[in-house]
Amino acid sequence: MCESCGCQGQGSFKKEIGVIEVNQRLLAANDAQAEFNRHYIEKLGALSINLISSPGSGKTTLLEKTIDALAGELRIGVIEGDIETERDADRIRARGIPVVQLTTGGACHLDAHIVHKGIRTLETQLDRTGLDLLFIENVGNLVCPVSFKLGEHLRAVLLSVPEGSDKPAKYPKAFMTSQVFLITKTDLVPYFDFSMEEAEREATRLNPGLEKFRLSSVTGENFDAWVGYLRNLLKKYRNILKD
Amino acid sequence: MHELSLAQNLISQVLNLAREHQAKKVLRVSVEIGPFSGVVVDSFRFGYEVLSQEHGETRGSVLEIREPEQSFRCFSCGHVFNGKKMGDPCPDCKEGTLVAWGGDDIILLSVEME
Repeated sequence: MCESCGCQGQGSFKKEIGVIEVNQRLLAANDAQAEFNRHYIEKLGALSINLISSPGSGKTTLLEKTIDALAGELRIGVIEGDIETERDADRIRARGIPVVQLTTGGACHLDAHIVHKGIRTLETQLDRTGLDLLFIENVGNLVCPVSFKLGEHLRAVLLSVPEGSDKPAKYPKAFMTSQVFLITKTDLVPYFDFSMEEAEREATRLNPGLEKFRLSSVTGENFDAWVGYLRNLLKKYRNILKD
Repeated sequence: MHELSLAQNLISQVLNLAREHQAKKVLRVSVEIGPFSGVVVDSFRFGYEVLSQEHGETRGSVLEIREPEQSFRCFSCGHVFNGKKMGDPCPDCKEGTLVAWGGDDIILLSVEME
């Protein structure tokens, strides 16, 4: 603003334009919203987990079994992301869990803004005691959701046995940006040419710090380990929040 | 597939800048696409070309894309290298393996306007 008369810089005060240096990340707005979401989720007392995988890897079934294993022990909330339908939310709702279905209407991923709406809606279903775990089930897609932070504390990538053990090598970014790698449908190993060792080796090559679990929702294989991991993580997280 | 929504983000940032600086025309937009961003550069460019036609300010502008080389950092000793592959053993300490280092962002570098 002009200091002598207070004009807004029009006319002779016109700003000079030419090359404007910006140096700003394209996803800066999404990441700022994600950061806000994370604080919001922390106020609810919850640890949030973003589940990423291709369609049909068993994300919803994993949630159902995890909810069953922690029933009466931890308070769980779920945000479901899909392109269309309430079907996943209906499955979770049948277990008496607070759940919100987000339908993107065509978009191949969730972003931090739509998830914020989801959190606000979920909040209306909660009692005053808050939440322990908030699962965000992303749109089934091993590529696009990876670029968008939602405000999660933990990102888990699922790979089911029928998809093949070469997927970590083919879709590296999903495995590079996750902290947990879940191989699902391990009861199908006898029927498919799937090497657990190859999948885990490739994933570890991309991200040496990955936690790994081999799960079957049908036989319940290794669910104790997975649920134990979540319990421990929640304990650590609560200690950090206290400080 | 998400290249289109990224291009949409870029266009809105550029339009905001143009309005802020009271520019009538955007001539050139420079962007850096990180080697680990997972973005298909051709689709991103296509998205920009389509969407930039929708606004008078951006119509006919040139999109300049910089693609830096991949770099890797040793998981054990922390040294950074170019011209290697993910998972290679570290040429320095021989102990750790190399992991992707930075470069997963898309950055709007500069905008030329008049």
